[in-house]
Amino acid sequence: MVNVLDIKVARDLWSMRLQVLSIALLVAAGVAVFVMSVSNYQALIGAMEAHYRNERFADIFVGMTRAPLSVVDRLREIDGIGIVEPRVAEPVRVIREDTNLPISGRVISLPAAGQPLLNRLHLVQGRWPDPLRPEEVIINAAYAEARAVRSGETIEVVLNGRLQGFRVVGTALSPEFIFATRAAVPLPDDRNFVVVWASEDAMAGAFDMKGAFNDALMTLAPGARPQHVLEEVDRLLAPYGGTGAYGRSDQPSHRFLKDELAEQETLSIVMPSVFFGIAAFLLNVVVGRMVEAQRGQIASLKALGFANRTIALHYFKLVTAIALLGSAIGLVVGRWFAIGVVGSYGAFFRFPSLEAQLEPWLLVAAALVSVGAANLAAASAVYRIAILAPAEAMRPETPPALHTFSWLQTIGSQRIPLQYIIAARTILGRPVRTLLTTVGIALAIPLILFGLYWFDAIDYMIDVSFGRIERGDAFVTFTEPVSADALYELRAIPGVLEAEVQRVVPITLRAGHRAYRTSATGLDSASELKVLRDSALRPIAVPSDGIMLSRTIARQLDLKAGDSVTIEVLEGSRTVREVTVRRISDDILGASVTLQRTALNRLMREGPVANVATFRFDPGQSELLWSRIRSMPKIEGSSVKALWFALFNETIGGMVVIGALVLSGFGMLIAIGVVYNSARIALQERAWELASLRIIGLTRREVSAVIISELVVELIVAIPAGLLIGRYLIELIASARASESFQIPAVIDRSSYAIAALLVIGAAIASFITIRRRIEKLDLVAVLKTRD
Amino acid sequence: MQPQAPVFVARGLTKVYGSGDSRVVALKDVDLDIRQGEFIVLLGPSGSGKSTLLNILGGLDAPTSGTARWRDHELTGASDEQLTTYRREHVGFVFQFYNLIPSLTVEENVRLVAQIASNPMTPAEALELVGLSHRAGHFPSQLSGGEQQRVAVARAIVKRPDILLCDEPTGALDVDTGRLVLAAIAKVNAELNTTTAVITHNSAIAGMAHRVLRLSGGRIVKEEPNPRRIRAEDVTW
Repeated sequence: MVNVLDIKVARDLWSMRLQVLSIALLVAAGVAVFVMSVSNYQALIGAMEAHYRNERFADIFVGMTRAPLSVVDRLREIDGIGIVEPRVAEPVRVIREDTNLPISGRVISLPAAGQPLLNRLHLVQGRWPDPLRPEEVIINAAYAEARAVRSGETIEVVLNGRLQGFRVVGTALSPEFIFATRAAVPLPDDRNFVVVWASEDAMAGAFDMKGAFNDALMTLAPGARPQHVLEEVDRLLAPYGGTGAYGRSDQPSHRFLKDELAEQETLSIVMPSVFFGIAAFLLNVVVGRMVEAQRGQIASLKALGFANRTIALHYFKLVTAIALLGSAIGLVVGRWFAIGVVGSYGAFFRFPSLEAQLEPWLLVAAALVSVGAANLAAASAVYRIAILAPAEAMRPETPPALHTFSWLQTIGSQRIPLQYIIAARTILGRPVRTLLTTVGIALAIPLILFGLYWFDAIDYMIDVSFGRIERGDAFVTFTEPVSADALYELRAIPGVLEAEVQRVVPITLRAGHRAYRTSATGLDSASELKVLRDSALRPIAVPSDGIMLSRTIARQLDLKAGDSVTIEVLEGSRTVREVTVRRISDDILGASVTLQRTALNRLMREGPVANVATFRFDPGQSELLWSRIRSMPKIEGSSVKALWFALFNETIGGMVVIGALVLSGFGMLIAIGVVYNSARIALQERAWELASLRIIGLTRREVSAVIISELVVELIVAIPAGLLIGRYLIELIASARASESFQIPAVIDRSSYAIAALLVIGAAIASFITIRRRIEKLDLVAVLKTRD
Repeated sequence: MQPQAPVFVARGLTKVYGSGDSRVVALKDVDLDIRQGEFIVLLGPSGSGKSTLLNILGGLDAPTSGTARWRDHELTGASDEQLTTYRREHVGFVFQFYNLIPSLTVEENVRLVAQIASNPMTPAEALELVGLSHRAGHFPSQLSGGEQQRVAVARAIVKRPDILLCDEPTGALDVDTGRLVLAAIAKVNAELNTTTAVITHNSAIAGMAHRVLRLSGGRIVKEEPNPRRIRAEDVTW
C-alpha cells in the first residue's frame, strides 16, 4: 500500500508543476554552470598534464652560443640532472608567395633517430622525415592550419641569411609551443610564427654546428634542488655563451598557458562557484516560502496526529524531488554544454586531445548541494510552523504589530488608494520576508553580470592595450640591432605615416635569490606609438634613469620603488648591472620592464640601435608597403594589429564569448525563476485576501495593484542593490584573480548594467502578466467557504 | 412596509458542478422574485443550494442555465467586468468568515469600499450604524468575532447598496453578538430600504423576515410570508 502522504507528494508536485519547474530550472542553471565549468577546467588541466607527460616536456631550458657535444656528458654529471637533450635552435624567417608580411619562426633540430628524448612531437598529420632526406621537415600544426599548409608543400626558409626550401612532410604539436610566441608580441600569432623541425644534419650544415649544439633541454632527477641545478648549469655553460638556464615557470609557452589557465580558473571555478552558491541560496529562499505557504496543511496534519518528524519527512521528499529533478536537468545540460565549449577551446589550447571530463564526485557534489539547500529551507520552514499549536497554525498568520506604522494611517487618510496601503503594510509588517525576497531578486542580478562582464572586460582590454598603449598599426622585428638609419628607411616607405623604434632585449632580473626572466624594452622618451599608462589610463613617462617595473614582477621579486635590482642581459654583451627601480606600474596586459632606450643602449654597451620598429600606415598602400619592408635587410618578423584582432576574436574572443554567453544565459534563467517564484508565492499566500477584495467589488486591476505594487517596491530596492552587489563581487574576483600577464580589469559597461536590470524587469513584467491571469481565475466562491 | 414591484427576477435557475460521475446539481429550475426593500431569509440544510442561489444573485457565480436579472442588469451571460461593476455599485456582502483585510484598520476596511462607490455614506456614518465608532482605528485582529462581523456589515452598507446579501452572518458567533449583527442588518433594511437576503440554517432568524424561502435538494420547497416579524433583540437560539 502506498503511503497516502507519498501520494500527496506526487499530487503536490503535479498541481504546482509550473512552480516546481521554475525551481527545478533554478537548480538546473546552477548545477549546469558548475558542472560545465569545473569539468572544462579539469579537461584543460588534464590535457596539459597528459601532453607534458606523453611528450616529456623538459624541466630546464637553456640556450648558448655554441658548445661542443662533449659538454653534454658534463651536464649529465650535474647532481640533480636527469635526461639531457642537446639540439640546435635558431630564429628564422619564412618567405611566402601569398603574403608580403615577414613571417618569423624558429627552426629546431631533430635527432637522426626521430623523436627527441625531451619535448617530443605529437604528430598530427603526415609522417616523420626520412633520415636520408635532409630537406624533409615537420612544422607546427597551428601555423599549418592558420596558413593552410599541406604535407608535400615547400616552405621557403631563410637560414643564416640563405634562402632554402624544405619539404613539409608532417605537422605536429609540441609541449613547448602550445602557445607559439616570440618576444615583443603580446599574444600568440599563429599566422606569423612558424616552428620548423629539421634534421640535425641540415641544421649543422646551415649553422656551422657540426659536433656542437646551442640549445639544451633537461629534466630534473627526483629530489633535485632546481635552484642549485640552474646555477650549476649556468656555471658550466658560461664559457660557451650560456644565456641562463630557466625552469618551466619562465618558459614562454608554459608561462602564457599558466596565465590562461588562471584566467580560465576565474571563469570556470571561481565565478561558477559563486554562481552556484547564490543559486543554492535562492533555492533556499524559494523553497522556504513554498513550504510556508502550506502552513494550513501542515497545521492540519499536526492536528490529525502526525509527528513533526513525519511531516518534515513529507516535505523533504517534496523538495528533494524538485532538487533532484533540477540537478538531473542541470547535469544533462551542463554535460552537453561542456562538450560544446571544450570544442571551442581547441583553436586556442593546442593539446593533442581535449575532451570534456565528467568526474563522478562532481555530480554527487552538485546534487548534494542542491538537495541540501532545499532540505535546509524545508526543515526550517516546517520547524517554524511545527512549533506552533495546531490550532494556532491553522489560523492564518497573525498580522504583525501594525500599530508601529501609524504614519501610514496618516498618509492613508489622504488620497492614497487603500490597495497601496495594504501593500505598504505588508512590506513593512513582514520585514524579514520582504528582505529575503528583495535579496533574492538582487542576487539574481550578479549572475547575469558575471557573464556580461567578460564582454566588457575584453573590450576594455583591447581598447586599452591596442588603442591607447600600443598605438601603432603594426610592428616589425629585426634579426639584430639596426642603427637609426633603419628608422629613416622605414619612414621613407610610401604609406608609412609615423614610425618609432624600440630596443627589446631578453634579460633576467635578480633580487636576492629570486629571479624573473623577461625582456626589457627601451623606449624613446617622446614615444607616441607606445604610451605606457597607469591603471587610471594616465600616461606614464619613462623614468630618465633606472627602470620601471610592472607590479606583477615587482611583487614576485619583492621590490618597491627605490630598490636596486640586478639586470642580466641574455644576449650580446651579457652585461650584468645594478639598476634602480624608479617606478612600479599597473599594466593591464603583460608584465614589462621599461627604461629609456638610450639607457638600455648604454647598458648594452652599444650605439643608438634598435631591434623593433612600430609604425602607423595607410591601409590603402599596404601591399606595396609590405613588399618594401620585406626586402629590407635584417627583418625578422612582423605583426599587424588588424590581423591580430581577427585572430583574437577567433580564439580568445570566441572562447570567452561562449563561456560568458552560457554564464549570462543561465543567470537570466535564474533571475526569471526567482522573480516568478516570488510573485507566484506572494499570490498563493494572499489568494484569500485578494479574492475578498474582488468580491467586495474591486476590479482585477485594483486587486492586482496590491500584489504588483509590493513586487515593484521590492524590485526598486533590489535592482540597484543587485547591480552594486554584482559590481562588488566582480571587483573582488578580479582583484583576487589578477595573474602575471593578465589583470582582467573590473570594468562593467553601463549597457551591461542596463541589460541586467532590463532582464529582471522583463522577468517581472512576465510574472505580472501571470499574476493578472491568476487573479482573473481566482475562485471567488471557494474563498467564501474557507477561512484560509 | 408594503412590498413593491420585483427588483430581482430569476427563472429556471439551474447550477450543475462538475460532469460525469462527479456531477452535482446544486440548483434545479428555481424561479424567484424579490421585491424592493424586502427582507428575505433563505433556510435550508447544507447542500440545499442556498449559497449557490445567493452567489448567483450577487454576481459571484453564473448559472448553468436559466436567467437572473436585477432591474435592467442581466446577470446571466454577463462578463466578469459587468459583474464586477454590478457588485461594486449595487451589492453589499456579509460572509460567515467576515473576509476583512487584516492589514487595514476598521475605518480603512470600510473606506476601501467607500472609495470605489459612487454615492457612499462616510465610513464614520457606516460604523455609527453598526455601533463601532469607537473601534475605528483598530485592526481586525484586535476585535472580537462579533465586532469583526459588524465591521463587515458596515463595509457592506457604506456604499448604500441596493441589495445586501448575507451568507451565514451569525454562523461563527454566539447568540448575544449574533443579535447585535442581526440588529445592524435589520436597521439597514429598515432605514435605507435595502433589499436584504440572509442565508442561514438557523430557523430562529426566520422570524425577522418578510418572507422565508426553504430550500432542499436545489429547489425552493416552501415559501412562507411572515406577517408577524420579530425584532433582532428577540431572536433566540
